[in-house]
Amino acid sequence: MAECKDIAEEASNILNGDLPFRKRIALHIHLFYCSCCRNYIQQLKQTIATISVFRPIEKDSTDMSALAKQLQELAKKQ
Amino acid sequence: MKKNTMPSRKNERRLIKQLIEGESQAFDFVVTEYHNIMLSVARAIVGEAFADEVVQDAWVSAIKALPKFEGRSSLKTWLLHIVSNGAKSRVRRENRHVSLDDGWESVPADKFDQAGHRYDDVYTWDNATPESLLANEQLQTIIENTFQNLPAIQRAVLSMYEMEGIKMDEICNILDISSSNARVLLHRARTTLHHSIEKYQDN
Repeated sequence: MAECKDIAEEASNILNGDLPFRKRIALHIHLFYCSCCRNYIQQLKQTIATISVFRPIEKDSTDMSALAKQLQELAKKQ
Repeated sequence: MKKNTMPSRKNERRLIKQLIEGESQAFDFVVTEYHNIMLSVARAIVGEAFADEVVQDAWVSAIKALPKFEGRSSLKTWLLHIVSNGAKSRVRRENRHVSLDDGWESVPADKFDQAGHRYDDVYTWDNATPESLLANEQLQTIIENTFQNLPAIQRAVLSMYEMEGIKMDEICNILDISSSNARVLLHRARTTLHHSIEKYQDN
């Protein structure tokens, strides 16, 4: 039988729809009676949606226009 | 933050033609769009120290190889494979093992009792939409800092999957990791970000 910890461990696979049938059923039965885990899954969904909107990126100090220019010159030489 | 623009197949063919012809706007576009995710992949494979150099080399190789690009994959995926190959050979050349995902607890043990039940209740968040969460500047900073503190390989998997829309099997090929490994890394990244938002919401 699935418990709250199993939901926490498999939450991404639940959201990605990426679980074997038996496991999926066991986890969904738990979700049916556990409102905390339903809320947790909902929060994780909101986290994912928020990241997708926020779109954080790698810290980078590259001078993008200089790099573009350098590559353009390289392409012209070919 | 970065905007999301994915050129259509037709636009991409036009973009490649412009690159081959040396049009400056096309170079500005590809560098702005793809440099950061290339850097993310390089950091995940070779580590911070060599990543910039690997990406620079990848750009040069890509521009030279562009006339032979057959369009079997998207330009972005092609570039990511070039940077990944460069990073992997750099790892071999330097004979170094890069472990960029240490010290993570799969699920915080103090949240569950021995039977696996939660100690504390989980409540719904009041401000439910991404826009309302992001309206809070303090929370934006928390998310940004949490993202930057993730191990490089988690950032790469998360960025490729959530932000760049790259499929999981492609991510596995680019980073040379198994599917189960990639899923674990994605879950770790999501969970860490969730914890940071949750902690803020609870205060």
